[in-house]
Amino acid sequence: MSWWPFENKKTVKTDFVKAFLEKASKPIPSIRSLDQLNFVVLDTETTGLNPEEDFILSFGAVKIEKGKILVHTACEWYPTSPKSGGETAKIHGLVSREEEIELEVFVKKLLPYLDQSILVGHHLGFDLQMLKKACKPFGLEKFPNPVLDTMNFAVRLEYGPQIDWHRIKKEEYSLDSLCERYGIAKDDRHTAAGDAFLTAQLLLKLLKVAESKGIENFGQLMR
Amino acid sequence: MANVIVNRVLEFLRRYPPFSFLGREELERVASAVEIHYLEKGELLFNQGEAAQPHFFVLKEGSVELIETKAGKEEIQEICDEGDVFGVLALLGKRPYVLTARIAENSLIYSIPVEIFEEVLEKNTKVALYFAAGFASGQVVVRQDLSQGQKARGVFKAENRDHSLLIFSDQSEIKISEKVLTCRPDTSIQELANQMSEADVSSIVVSSEKGFPLGIITDKDLRKRVIAQSLQTSALASEIMSTPVITRKKESGFSDLYLTMIKNRLHHLILTEDGSDQSPVCGILSDHDVLLSMGNSPAVLIHGLMNTLDVKEMRTIRDRAEQMLRYYLENEVAMDFVASIMTEINDVIIRQAVKIAESNLKVEYPEFKNTRYCFLSMGSEGREEQLLRTDQDNALVYEDVPEKLKEKAAEYFLKLGTSIVEVMLACGFASCPGDIMASNPEWVQPLSTWKNYFSKWILTPTQDALMRASIFFDFRAVTGNTGLAEELSLHIYQEVQKKQAFLSFLAQNALANPAPLGFFRNFMVEKSGEHRDQFDIKARAMMPLTDLARLLVLSHGVIGVNNTFKRFERLAELEPNYEALFTQAGKAYEILMRMRALEGLKEGDSGRYIHPENLGKLQRQLLKNTFSPISELQEIVQVRFQLDYFR
Repeated sequence: MSWWPFENKKTVKTDFVKAFLEKASKPIPSIRSLDQLNFVVLDTETTGLNPEEDFILSFGAVKIEKGKILVHTACEWYPTSPKSGGETAKIHGLVSREEEIELEVFVKKLLPYLDQSILVGHHLGFDLQMLKKACKPFGLEKFPNPVLDTMNFAVRLEYGPQIDWHRIKKEEYSLDSLCERYGIAKDDRHTAAGDAFLTAQLLLKLLKVAESKGIENFGQLMR
Repeated sequence: MANVIVNRVLEFLRRYPPFSFLGREELERVASAVEIHYLEKGELLFNQGEAAQPHFFVLKEGSVELIETKAGKEEIQEICDEGDVFGVLALLGKRPYVLTARIAENSLIYSIPVEIFEEVLEKNTKVALYFAAGFASGQVVVRQDLSQGQKARGVFKAENRDHSLLIFSDQSEIKISEKVLTCRPDTSIQELANQMSEADVSSIVVSSEKGFPLGIITDKDLRKRVIAQSLQTSALASEIMSTPVITRKKESGFSDLYLTMIKNRLHHLILTEDGSDQSPVCGILSDHDVLLSMGNSPAVLIHGLMNTLDVKEMRTIRDRAEQMLRYYLENEVAMDFVASIMTEINDVIIRQAVKIAESNLKVEYPEFKNTRYCFLSMGSEGREEQLLRTDQDNALVYEDVPEKLKEKAAEYFLKLGTSIVEVMLACGFASCPGDIMASNPEWVQPLSTWKNYFSKWILTPTQDALMRASIFFDFRAVTGNTGLAEELSLHIYQEVQKKQAFLSFLAQNALANPAPLGFFRNFMVEKSGEHRDQFDIKARAMMPLTDLARLLVLSHGVIGVNNTFKRFERLAELEPNYEALFTQAGKAYEILMRMRALEGLKEGDSGRYIHPENLGKLQRQLLKNTFSPISELQEIVQVRFQLDYFR
């Protein structure tokens, strides 16, 4: 009964997912210098903190190319979710959403946007889990893109590569604390795009620190 | 509703003039076009004399110094603060910067594309007046330049010429100061500073009794080693001089002197009688003197490239070459000369990239030191027609290796190719959208595989293969073992001889683009999409000509002539009865190349799409005239390859 769509455990890859995978799987040469790399800095706001149950309320992102944040690439998308805001909504003030889009429309916009870029975020792991969940119905199992978590990156730059993670005070590496430490004005906290913008500025500054420590190319950045 | 990020940028801009004069909608357009970068203390945003970037700048946070270098002296003209607008000259004539912008404190900088703001200037007189009054830091702008476009262009052009005439300047024109200010090592700082101000020079040479140079002190040393360190002015010259000094013989050639300065990052070069520091000082050359006299001659640019493996420096030199190109094009310098100069510059960059790549890989892969390989340029660069840094198309061929080394060789040459492509990307050459580059494993192959590729394309000319033909059949060996490329050419020649029908397929492809004029002799513009109502000069006028030229030389069995207008020249020799037509076609192609490159320089893009309505009447006529050989050639091809049977 192969015509019955719900029989296959593994969802079939849709064409736009295939197109994305083909492009995004292309490796970046490790010798590419930092200022030639493309980044997508992203953040999501969700209904809660459990990837199993919760959903993305909003996705915000901006691109960095040739060492510059390109404001015209800034985006904010609100995929529809079956669950209403609840507790999270109170924090984020996202109670009514004007420009909700269907999940499929969202994923169709998202994938070409991510393209072959390095994905960047603060506590990126969680955002990626949520995004993966959103993309799963269309046959995307995981993102082949390289990823860079600004929290880990900041720790690595301040403590060096051999760190005892137990000694790190997590609260010193929250987005709030890092923004304070690196002199970034905190506006629009707790909106996806606002946090993405702060993270992007943080990344620009961290990349300069990295360069001064001899991290000059993609290979060294990802080590 | 604009999104949060655009809003954030907008809220900042609106607090400062001239943005405060803008309406919400205009401001939103400007804000969404902003690019943000972060520079650290000491970095340069732009350099005096450098070609203007297509942006101007607003300082978001930090501090930037605008510096003028006059007669070797640095003078701070202005210090920019939060909200200041600078680098505005680019708004006007795309002239070189008159000041240098150096970061004084770590700075977040917003750059705003000129084109967006030009629209605003046209509509909003308040903003125009703001610039007119010269409020934007460090730049005096005259309102006339904006409104009286015609006049302004005339003024700029004259100035441009003055500047660019130096391209042809003779080496003998560099002024070497022969009267050198000198002092003894025991002179006090106070005393030597007085001497420098009196002579109005920016440096003083510290010399021994016999006049041998011991060290040099410049304005910069006084600032950095005296004032900044709060050193007493009674201290001695010997305490602050830079030593030892690098010296050269006065009679040395200009390029030797200049390259010594570039390599050692010297602002001043001391010249002595015999070139060593054990001989009396007889002259001094400052980088300012060099800049003034050097201009942008091809020889200097090429020498500069050949003597650097620093990718950033290579990029700067390539940018300068673009200034030279503009001058050549505007002054109708012969196209074959322009094309070969630009090709040579591009080729030197590739050769330097190869050096960088080889030296990076030689430790890891010693076994391939003597394996022959050849780097191939394809497409327009292969035809020696690439003036602007549009897509790079390239590939790598290496000699066949023993079975046991095959895998490792593939790995090595792919790394080599990738590294070359990376250098080219960093030098501003765009990436190939079809991924025909030496960083793609498919196009880094041993000779036998390449032969198979071509045999397959020739024997089974699918649509895909024919599309590729236009790129791959124009390959040219740039560096490495050219024997490999020749062997490949010969192979192609033999395969084509075996299967003449391939030429008919190629011919069919060459006719795919009809002559670019519509029924009413108007331009065939794009019907939809991003370039609606623009004329695609590449696809509609240039490609048909390159396709036709390639087809016809191949049919004559001519190999090794890649250049489209040289191909037409050769065809004129081979077929004297069509001499006039082929000559005309070659000329047409030169005109199209010039138009496209000028358009590209003007718009800061590939120049591929032209707005017919923006062309003057004369230019429009010129462009239309280039089309007539296309349809005539297409008719000949139609008959010669009996394409009617194919339909």
